[in-house]
Amino acid sequence: MDEINRRNFLKIVGVGSGAVAAGAVVPTLGMPRWTGNDALSFRAVAGLPAEPLPAYASYVLEGSVNLASRTGLVSRTVLAGAPDAMSDIALPGLSQTIRVTDVRPAGGALRIQGIVSDRFQVRRGESPTVEILVDRLRGIVRAPFFGSIVTLNLRS
Amino acid sequence: MADHLDAPGLMPPGGDPSIDITDIYAFQKPGDASKSILIVNVNPLTLAPAFSADALYDLQVDTNGDAVAEIAFRFKFSALSGGNQTVTVRRAAGAMAKMKENSGDVIIADAPVSFGKTARITDADPYRFFAGRRSDPFFFDLFGFLNSFMFTGDDFFVDKNVFGIVLEVPNTALGAGPGIPSNIGVFARSLVPNGSALVQIERMGRPAINTVFMKGKAKNGFNRTDPVDDVEQFTDTVEDVLIALGGDPALAGVLLPDILTYDYGSAAGFLNGRNLTDDVIDIELGLVTGGGVTTDGVAAHEDLLNKFPFLGRPH
Repeated sequence: MDEINRRNFLKIVGVGSGAVAAGAVVPTLGMPRWTGNDALSFRAVAGLPAEPLPAYASYVLEGSVNLASRTGLVSRTVLAGAPDAMSDIALPGLSQTIRVTDVRPAGGALRIQGIVSDRFQVRRGESPTVEILVDRLRGIVRAPFFGSIVTLNLRS
Repeated sequence: MADHLDAPGLMPPGGDPSIDITDIYAFQKPGDASKSILIVNVNPLTLAPAFSADALYDLQVDTNGDAVAEIAFRFKFSALSGGNQTVTVRRAAGAMAKMKENSGDVIIADAPVSFGKTARITDADPYRFFAGRRSDPFFFDLFGFLNSFMFTGDDFFVDKNVFGIVLEVPNTALGAGPGIPSNIGVFARSLVPNGSALVQIERMGRPAINTVFMKGKAKNGFNRTDPVDDVEQFTDTVEDVLIALGGDPALAGVLLPDILTYDYGSAAGFLNGRNLTDDVIDIELGLVTGGGVTTDGVAAHEDLLNKFPFLGRPH
């Protein structure tokens, strides 16, 4: 099993070793944030439907994973309004909490696997298992949305 | 999402969903072709507890095809007090109709708003009126739309409510008379105070024009524009989206101005007016995708009433 912790994750996501040694904060847009004790949090957003159509809603993923224990939680919400005009109205029936079951490096990214915590939040025809790819170098997250793979932009 | 939650200016934070127009309908009264039923639904998902007492809900009627109203029906609600709210309805005609003001003759005064399952109907001959919480008649696979048109027939709105404003009018109140064409256009708008004036921050004619064709914060701009300026301001935008959807950009000339055309001499449905059971999404999908997508697989709701106020009891 691959060892994964704060230091080698930072290598995976492309932050130099000097910055790691200094414990520096890298204030890059879209950078997942360390919150201590090998914990990493991120927030990513995509407009729905996808371009070139005007977005009606925003697909928001917010997660916090512990790289040492390979656990964590990710919330999935669809808010009314495009990403540049987002409301705080969550569209009913589209919110989920995903319990993280594994976290692994995958090339230059981080692969998070999880399962929807409440089976009643799983829609007909939807898989309860979820795989999310956090790619800091490209500033994106790839995650499923009812059978399709959606590319979200990391937000700081 | 005909026009539900269509613009950031109408949603929290900062916006008021009670003035968010979700749909408008115009159709012949069943069994009486001399009258029409006009419906304006607002407050998607009933996010707000009552109609706005600050705003003016304004149903505009264009009788000569110039995209400017010659007749208006205006609905002004009282403040919610003790769980009760009332509404006064005015009819304005002539140059007064297009004005952004609460003008016109009172045709119904202090009608009660219904918040429960029983519809409290006000009769004020020749008008009949209802306002209150009802089942949302709009039907659409919203998740399929968000999932890039991968429809599964899952009706997002089947268990949702809205606030409905329903007015039965004699066609003479829509301008009918000997030798006068029966073709009109209707659109609704929400006006809110800005100092001593009322300004328009929401409007709607046909379903899904703002939601589908305008982007992000530009949706606010669309809502604040009068339909008479639609062709000049939004044709390029609508054409671009039509092309992206695989449709014919020339259709922009039909979709704009955003006014629901209605011949009160005909019982035919959408694009002639709009009945509660008209599958407007299927019709529009076929049009805007050039026949590439013809249905979302969702049918009209079964809780509609066959008599006034026609909207189903609230869930």
